[in-house]
Amino acid sequence: MSPWDPTVARLTWHSVLGRRRALVLLLLPVALLALCALARALAALEGGDAEVSDALAVDLLAGFGLGVLMPLLGLIAGTGVIGPEIDEGSIVYLLTKPIDRFTIVLTKLGVAVAVVLLLGVLPVAASGLVLTGELDLVTAGFTVGALSGGLAYCALFLLLAVVTRHAVVVGLIYALVWESVVGQFVPGVQNLSAQQWSLATVVGVFGDDAERLELSAAVGPATGWVLLVVVAVGSTVYAGLRLRRLRLGAEV
Amino acid sequence: MTEQTRAGTVIHDIGYRHYDGPRLTTRQIERALFTETVRAAFGWGRSARSKVMPLLLLASTCLPALIICIVISVVPLVDEVPGGYPSYPFSVQVALAVFVGSQAPAVISKDLRFRVAPLYFSRPLSRTQYVRARYAGMAVALFVLIALPLTILVVGALLAELPWREQVTAYLTAMGGAALHALVLAGIGLLIAALTPRRGLGVAAIVTVLLVLSGLQATVTALAEEFGASTLADLGGLLSPFALVDGTLGVLGADDASIRAPGLDEGLGVLYPLLVVLVVAGCYALLVRRFRKVGIG
Amino acid sequence: MTTVRIHETSRWFGNVVAVNDVTMEIGPGVTGLLGPNGAGKSTLINLMSGFLAPSSGTVELDGRAVWGDEQVYRRLGLVPEREELYDGLTGWTFVLANARLHRLPDPAAAARRSLETVEMVDAQDRPIRTYSKGMRQRVKMASALVHDPEVLLLDEPFNGMDPRQRLHMMELLTTLGDQGRTILFSSHILEEVEQVATRIEVMVAGRHAASGDFREIRRLMTQRPHQYRIRSADDRRLAAAVMAEPCVSAVELVTGRDGTTAVVVQATDFSAFVHALPVLASTQGIRLHEVLPTDESLESVFGYLVAR
Repeated sequence: MSPWDPTVARLTWHSVLGRRRALVLLLLPVALLALCALARALAALEGGDAEVSDALAVDLLAGFGLGVLMPLLGLIAGTGVIGPEIDEGSIVYLLTKPIDRFTIVLTKLGVAVAVVLLLGVLPVAASGLVLTGELDLVTAGFTVGALSGGLAYCALFLLLAVVTRHAVVVGLIYALVWESVVGQFVPGVQNLSAQQWSLATVVGVFGDDAERLELSAAVGPATGWVLLVVVAVGSTVYAGLRLRRLRLGAEV
Repeated sequence: MTEQTRAGTVIHDIGYRHYDGPRLTTRQIERALFTETVRAAFGWGRSARSKVMPLLLLASTCLPALIICIVISVVPLVDEVPGGYPSYPFSVQVALAVFVGSQAPAVISKDLRFRVAPLYFSRPLSRTQYVRARYAGMAVALFVLIALPLTILVVGALLAELPWREQVTAYLTAMGGAALHALVLAGIGLLIAALTPRRGLGVAAIVTVLLVLSGLQATVTALAEEFGASTLADLGGLLSPFALVDGTLGVLGADDASIRAPGLDEGLGVLYPLLVVLVVAGCYALLVRRFRKVGIG
Repeated sequence: MTTVRIHETSRWFGNVVAVNDVTMEIGPGVTGLLGPNGAGKSTLINLMSGFLAPSSGTVELDGRAVWGDEQVYRRLGLVPEREELYDGLTGWTFVLANARLHRLPDPAAAARRSLETVEMVDAQDRPIRTYSKGMRQRVKMASALVHDPEVLLLDEPFNGMDPRQRLHMMELLTTLGDQGRTILFSSHILEEVEQVATRIEVMVAGRHAASGDFREIRRLMTQRPHQYRIRSADDRRLAAAVMAEPCVSAVELVTGRDGTTAVVVQATDFSAFVHALPVLASTQGIRLHEVLPTDESLESVFGYLVAR
């Protein structure tokens, strides 16, 4: 079994970025970069020191970058690479081929991750640069966090799209209600939040500087990494298994 | 009764009748479409599964209001509604965004995806009337979603014997705000839904746009306050639909608006109501334009 | 020579049995899978194409279970019923992508050959979005034929086609069948099946109702007892006269809810009765108002076959 099929990748890439949906996807990184540019401009206006304070940079990147951009991008990319095809039934043209189902899932995950890299991780890194003016610890930390979180979100939401036709709504409820709203009131929930896990990896990169930068996560860095890897690998394996027994319009 | 032709071919009369009686006017068709839209937004007349989401969201906008009512009637010291009426929609904005996101595509994308729209337009109904009925229906559904918890609040407040004049004034202001929210959100939601007929995509696009704008607005306002840039802080509210309506209420004189909006006298404040009008009119015009492109067949 | 063998296969969804203990063998040539809507044709095709696991029994392609083995698609092509394709692609890129997915040694040549077979070369560079229903069906067909499969399964291939497209598709199926391929297509329209299929399998309500040569089944279908409902100027006298005919097995006088009467006649020989009735009416001087066959629907024909 090969983990990658170029034709599957091309078809998937075409269906994700081929049309207007690309605009919605662009909105997210543009919003983040605009915010960071604004912060930088305000800081410049205020005084001679053109850099934004590290604490503010961390706030922005954690709040908007890891808190809003990555989950939404992961949701759109993760469900977008397979959901519409299952829904419309055109996935049948991939499934009636002598290709291992895991190859299909891994290739589609690869495309989703590429989208997230391009429109999520890169903009986060660029925002870090814009905010701090240098390739420092803050930028590096959040790039790692965005990458680890993005990977887990893609895998998780891809699985969701294979399992249910209401993947987008369920995913939104997870990302918005579970991670944000419920997480605020019930601290235990934060232990089960991919956003907190990716924050934990950022804390891990910061090491002893995390306290100075006023960044904390609900779980430790090691736990965060382990949970992210478990979720990513587990979701992918299960998605492959579910795709094997995918029912297509099996109305009675 | 059969009709016999020369060649011996027979057309059997199997009971079809001409209809020469009175027909409903296009206004009545429009009204029927409007009612159908309101009902569909709440899953009424759709499958049990489609009822879950809207009713869950209705419950989640009403639940905080109920809790507040219980608190003010149990705790005697409270002499006002915590948070106030006009900013209530602002605090349940996630539920509102998910409601628009999940229902606007159900209302409008399906007509495009399953090519139902041409069937509507092959009746006397005009495209403008179609858009008007759908828009009004979605707006009324959203209004119900916001107005119901507000009404629960005011009833609770009056039962707890809070000063009724203040309460009713604030309530009526908030209802005006609810109407504005309904118009703005329905416009944005329907427009995005009409541009993204593919299933699932519309939901994601609407919620993403609404929440990213909210997030942007919150961050810009926070940034502006941190750096003391007061003009920017005043204008930040223009970024998100929720803050926009909230700010409009503030500009127009409501007390409890949560967005810092400048008074009308400062000049910039007029941007808030202006943008509300612009968004509503713009969304409507673009929707009409989108549906003009729908061909018959 | 490739054979699809379905052995004592059932498939149920919750409480609903879609395919009920079916055993059949599909060999080379064109086989029509005939049955009314909801008879389980699609479920059966999904079972044969490996998209559903049988709840019990086996579905095999030359002795190899179809379910859970993506290698069967090297030898099997499927033309699904649903219309959706990758709309943004052109016919050519779509078929070429299918050839590549099969990892064929020369995908471009295979795609070209396949598009030639379905006569879509002229339109191959247009986006699929702009295709008519018949063209979509042909592109779907091309994508299923691109790897030169021994078995081709088609779910309702004639749905929504105009007569010319239908004729073209029928010719294509006949050609493919003559090449020794195993072709199975489903349909709920008797005439379609009659024109293409050499063998038919009839499904009714999830059960395998009949199978074999088409003409033989057709004969069985026409020789069953037929029921007519007749209204005339004098029902009682007509009933008495009709009973004297040897081809009639039962006569009943019925009164409708609105007080009108009618004669319900059961005839054993369809053609003898339809010839005898007008003669009889004119010699007896009874005016016939209405003659209605009461059980002519496909369902009732199949229902009869199954009940036997």
